[in-house]
Amino acid sequence: MATDRKAEVTWHGDLMSGSGRIDSVTSGAIGGLDVDWRARSEDAQSKTSPEELIAAAHAACFSMALSNGLAQAGHPADELKTSATVTFQPGEGITKIALQVAGNVPGMSQDDFRQAAETAKENCPVSKALAGVPEISLDARLEG
Amino acid sequence: MARGNGAISAATGAFSALPYSLASRVERPDGKTSPEELLAAAHAACYAMSLAGELASAGTPPDHLDVHATVTLDQVEDGSHRIVASELLARARVDEMDAETLSRLAASASEGCPFTKLIEASATVTVNATLEGETDGD
Repeated sequence: MATDRKAEVTWHGDLMSGSGRIDSVTSGAIGGLDVDWRARSEDAQSKTSPEELIAAAHAACFSMALSNGLAQAGHPADELKTSATVTFQPGEGITKIALQVAGNVPGMSQDDFRQAAETAKENCPVSKALAGVPEISLDARLEG
Repeated sequence: MARGNGAISAATGAFSALPYSLASRVERPDGKTSPEELLAAAHAACYAMSLAGELASAGTPPDHLDVHATVTLDQVEDGSHRIVASELLARARVDEMDAETLSRLAASASEGCPFTKLIEASATVTVNATLEGETDGD
């Protein structure tokens, strides 16, 4: 079954001095988020940006794929803590994504965890959509 | 994964502890976000900035832009999920602008939005821009 998710944004003025707002999304989970070029390309000043949203999407997608892979391998995770850092170079685009995951997975070796994380990084739908990013790094380790 | 759940927070603090789950991603959202919804928000914001830039460069900065992005996740032949489409709809209030020029600038704004270029590895991106006051789809 296909799933559609929609977001609505309004913008006023030109790129450099104008500003916008992410008004709403299908689920209602976020809304009223201000965005502007300066916050995107220089100092965030508590404002989100397309790249921060991509980071959130990638971290969430990767975590789901890894959780599924671990469960299928007979080692369901108690907890996965994932961060994704997206680097935006104005004029060039997204140049790098750094994924970091710390897992609490009973009975699993470090090597097997790294392998499962690598597979999740290759196969999650957001990774596939972002396959054109020049560098996607992964740091995966077990905790405890 | 089918029974698990997660929470998403942003480094800037602009949003935090957003719950999500497999069910909210591939079935009904029930108030929960999903990776594709966050990508839709990213694409709409990226495209709005790019279109504002294109219009300003053409000497006609917009008074107001409404941009909607709809990202579609679908199951493909091998059973895996894939992001197959991102549909951009823009409504622009711009002085001294005709529909043809807006269409041209809207297309080049999509090409200039870094996220469009990336997501085209997986998804078909479509753009439809109209001037405020026109009928949709003209």
